[in-house]
Amino acid sequence: MKLLSTKTLLILLVLISGYGYIASCTRDNELPPPPATTGPIINHGTNVHLPGSMTVGNSNEWKVDKAHSSVLWSTNYVGAAGLLTGRFNQFGVHDVTDAKMLNYVSAGQPLLDSSWAFYENEPAKTYFNGYVQINQSNTGEPGRDAGCNVSGMGTTAIVPGTQNLTVTNIARIKTTEVKFDPASNDYIVTVKFTWQGKLAAPLTQTIVGKLKYIPKATVQFGTAAGYDVFGLQFKFQFNCRDFGITSTSISDKIEIEVNVNLNNK
Amino acid sequence: MDNSFFNYLQRIELLAFFSGYPLIYTLIVFTAGNQRTKNNFISKRISLLPLGYALVGTLYLGLQLKNLYPNYSVENFKLTIQEPLLITWALLSILFWLPFFSKKLVISLIHSLVFFFFLLRDFFLQLSAKPGDRSMVRNSMKLYTDSLLLNLSAFVFIALLAFLFSFYNKQSRA
Repeated sequence: MKLLSTKTLLILLVLISGYGYIASCTRDNELPPPPATTGPIINHGTNVHLPGSMTVGNSNEWKVDKAHSSVLWSTNYVGAAGLLTGRFNQFGVHDVTDAKMLNYVSAGQPLLDSSWAFYENEPAKTYFNGYVQINQSNTGEPGRDAGCNVSGMGTTAIVPGTQNLTVTNIARIKTTEVKFDPASNDYIVTVKFTWQGKLAAPLTQTIVGKLKYIPKATVQFGTAAGYDVFGLQFKFQFNCRDFGITSTSISDKIEIEVNVNLNNK
Repeated sequence: MDNSFFNYLQRIELLAFFSGYPLIYTLIVFTAGNQRTKNNFISKRISLLPLGYALVGTLYLGLQLKNLYPNYSVENFKLTIQEPLLITWALLSILFWLPFFSKKLVISLIHSLVFFFFLLRDFFLQLSAKPGDRSMVRNSMKLYTDSLLLNLSAFVFIALLAFLFSFYNKQSRA
């Protein structure tokens, strides 16, 4: 009888305790579920941007907005100090073949910025060709830009009203492969970089850089008609010693950053 | 803030110390009395249950003395103790050190059931509360779990002491 009453009480207490534990279960201490992925969020859209014939007013044809684009370079001063930076005042997005390497009498770029295509979700179809005029390097110091920069880079001084696209004054890039960057939303781009520098003949190197796409957006100011813009940023680096540059004012490694803004006005 | 908060604090102290004893008691008594799970070690030490309970009561007394420290005056006692009846009832558990009280196992169970009713009261309050508001029951169950562990530990401690004492006595006689 004693065992029975103890048993009954035990069952009662276990039931009450069990109810208490179930009723008190708020799950507050549960850890939040882990993120679906610990890697970067990669989301490529389906935008396709093509230059077409670059007809003004054709919103399907994209134009390089050179006034708001830039080609920047930077290197460590004397190879050990802070950055020495500059930009190229004249550049373009065109495949400059040997036949086109001429002096052009023109205030602006003589060649259309039409040698490119961008497919956001099909990088294999993406390509671009570009160039800079070496003697148009601008560091903000006229004495340096028109002096040692010209001689040190193996080129000739600027002739006003002339665009010098000759072999000694032009550095070019030409994509050979564009693919997705598995670690980011960007693209890995392989280019052939061609520059003569202070060598006897142009040297072509295969260089890998990173391309960032700044997605298309619509802008409108005041009562003016709206238009679309997008941006591309391409970064790479090369060793200037490979091109015969011996200046001790700059380090071996030159970093290049290309910022191109495009619109469909 | 009125004193209800301090009342609540003192009640949860009582809950943490004594509410787990009934389940531990019935579990051990049932185990000792059940033929299939009959265990000599437990059966012999079942009479130590009230001593374990008395140990818990002594620990509770220690907590109250710590709360009153360093002022043990009557005035401070009146200010600090919000539940004098319940605390007095709880401190009566120390009497189970005396063989007169510890011989009657069921008295310790009856004594502790008073505090178990606080747990039941929280359950009923939770039933009338809005859905999802389970914080009070949750808190009570945490304290109840602590109380189970405390009372079980107290019993094991007393049982070990008794075992060592009897072992030492046997060795001394031999």
